[in-house]
Amino acid sequence: MTAIPAHPGAPKSSPRSVSMSRQRIKENLTGYLFILPSVLIIGLFGLFPIIFSVYMSTLNWRARKGGFIGLSNYQQALGDFSGVLLFVAGILLFVAAYFIWNRALRSSDNRVLIGGVLAALALIGGGYVLSSGWGQMIAAGDKRFLNALPITLFYSLGTVPAELFLGLVLAYILFQKIRGKELFRMIYFLPYITPAIATAVVFRNIFSPRESSLANWALSAFGIEPMKWLFEPRPIINVIFGTNFEGFLAGPSMALVSIILYGIWTYVGYNVIVFLAGLGSIPNETYEAAEIDGASHWQMFRHVTVPLISPVTFYLALVAFIGTFKAFNHIYVMRTPNALGTVDVASVAIFDTFYKMNNYGYAAAQAIILFVIIAALTYAQNRIFSEKVFYG
Amino acid sequence: MANREQVIYQQTAERARAESRVFRFKPGRAILYLILILGAVLAVLPFFWMVSNSLMTLGETINRRWLPAVPQIQNYLEAWEEANFAKYFWNSVVITFTTCTGLLISSILAGYAFGRIRFVGRDVIFAILLSTLMIPESVTVIPSLLIIRGSVIPLPGGSWLNTLQALTVPFMANAFSIFLLRQFFAGIPNELWDAARIDGAGHLRFLGQIVLPISKAPIMTVLIFAFIGSWNAFMWPLLVTTRETWRPLMVGLWNFVTEAGPQTQLLMAGSVITIIPILILYFFTQKQFTEGIATTGLKG
Repeated sequence: MTAIPAHPGAPKSSPRSVSMSRQRIKENLTGYLFILPSVLIIGLFGLFPIIFSVYMSTLNWRARKGGFIGLSNYQQALGDFSGVLLFVAGILLFVAAYFIWNRALRSSDNRVLIGGVLAALALIGGGYVLSSGWGQMIAAGDKRFLNALPITLFYSLGTVPAELFLGLVLAYILFQKIRGKELFRMIYFLPYITPAIATAVVFRNIFSPRESSLANWALSAFGIEPMKWLFEPRPIINVIFGTNFEGFLAGPSMALVSIILYGIWTYVGYNVIVFLAGLGSIPNETYEAAEIDGASHWQMFRHVTVPLISPVTFYLALVAFIGTFKAFNHIYVMRTPNALGTVDVASVAIFDTFYKMNNYGYAAAQAIILFVIIAALTYAQNRIFSEKVFYG
Repeated sequence: MANREQVIYQQTAERARAESRVFRFKPGRAILYLILILGAVLAVLPFFWMVSNSLMTLGETINRRWLPAVPQIQNYLEAWEEANFAKYFWNSVVITFTTCTGLLISSILAGYAFGRIRFVGRDVIFAILLSTLMIPESVTVIPSLLIIRGSVIPLPGGSWLNTLQALTVPFMANAFSIFLLRQFFAGIPNELWDAARIDGAGHLRFLGQIVLPISKAPIMTVLIFAFIGSWNAFMWPLLVTTRETWRPLMVGLWNFVTEAGPQTQLLMAGSVITIIPILILYFFTQKQFTEGIATTGLKG
């Protein structure tokens, strides 16, 4: 936490310690009174629900509260705990591979080779263990919920890097003494602030499967056949290349890709604004020095801007990543029955368990699982990328 | 005098040179503008589509026209009537106003206390409150709904389903707003507080007379975020409004989507209606908006 300035009313050494302590009690009371409303509300609707969710997740709570059933809800969701263990072991092997590889890169030549081989072995082993664990989980668990997890991941990987990249490029261009900078900034930010329900309704129309829809018109300009967009449950690779991949390897469905495009459209502007502020804080001398050294525009971008802006990039990536795991409103609005559940990210799946099926205890267990995954991924992202961030 | 004129002359000359540098045609710069304009077109196109379709006949929306032959203003009236928007719009206004008021009061007080009053356990409590920023809505929403229904703790008046309290009270405090205000309040020089204390002012009077007048920028930022969050809220209102009594505009629009089905022009008119207040707010507070986001985005 940042430094808190010395207490303004701090008692200076004074002989009248009795009245001082009375004043301190008063000071304490004022403080508690001031924070009382916020603490009550956040405590009741922000903190208490976490503990209560854990409690609910151990009960058979379908619309009405039922008896204690231990971990059954978790078992129903994840299938088979030995499968989960295998899955986690696979991930740990991936982590091990990452560390071995990093170590090897820093050491002498023939160690690199050994390290590379070891890392590759760990990677292959991890992949095998992970996929067999996942297979066990899918076979015994709740397919709708388990499938929501890779769908959520696809959604994250589809939106976050693209919106960061576009945001940085646009911000960098805007930073170059551009005429009408304010106007551009205002326009880019528009999608972010407008209600997601309203814009999602518009995108439902733009990405409609009709031949005359705007998205299909854009395709026809390139001579491409019309597509079914939000109504297309087939994986996008299969649609485009006519391949026949199944499962995780096939990637996101066409319907999910349409939602990813909407996600990018919404959040690029936010990234532009924050990147612009970050670019403003890079000292001009750095660019001048690079210019004197004969750096080209691209070199300056690559070797000055990108490293110096990395704390901002890291912050935005973290916020965006957590955001995609929470995403609900626009996905809920843009999903169609024809997409056959291929766009149901975790938060939507949990909402269905709870709102449609009235299975509260089970939904709470699913929510706790999601929470653990978010926490783990955030931690991993912190560990991996904080090394690469340059804090000037 | 001559010196001054010379300076002005030099400045003008310099500016002219600088401008000529900008105006000189460079293919590189043209590409930059092209990229920017392409981005702007893509950002605006859905809005254009929304407005133009809202003014079309049903046939025109199906056959993909860019502009209506004759603008059908009555679409707006029809959507307004058919979807019961008059009621929902008013509900949203009241909900947003109530939430913003409550949030401002609670977070100004808390931000002040965390920034300027020393009490036992202050930093621990603050850290605990901040940790709630990480928690996904999926986790908190189920217990929160049970609380609102009155089935976890006794609430005044039994169940709060379909009440104004249910839609506003849970949003009348959040860690983000408190954090933002605390950072600003903590930076106010201590001399001001010492002077106020000599005049016999307590914390409340110091807050009201000295702190608030100089804190317009951060308060405005908090207010803007609260307004957007409240106006755009969807999942929670969907859960706690089973009847029309307090149903807000976003839920009304969603119901309209599921009912109106293929009536594209009415749906688009409805969407335009829901975004107008946000657009008005945005155009008037544009600078504070983007600056607020930029600074909070960086300080996070």
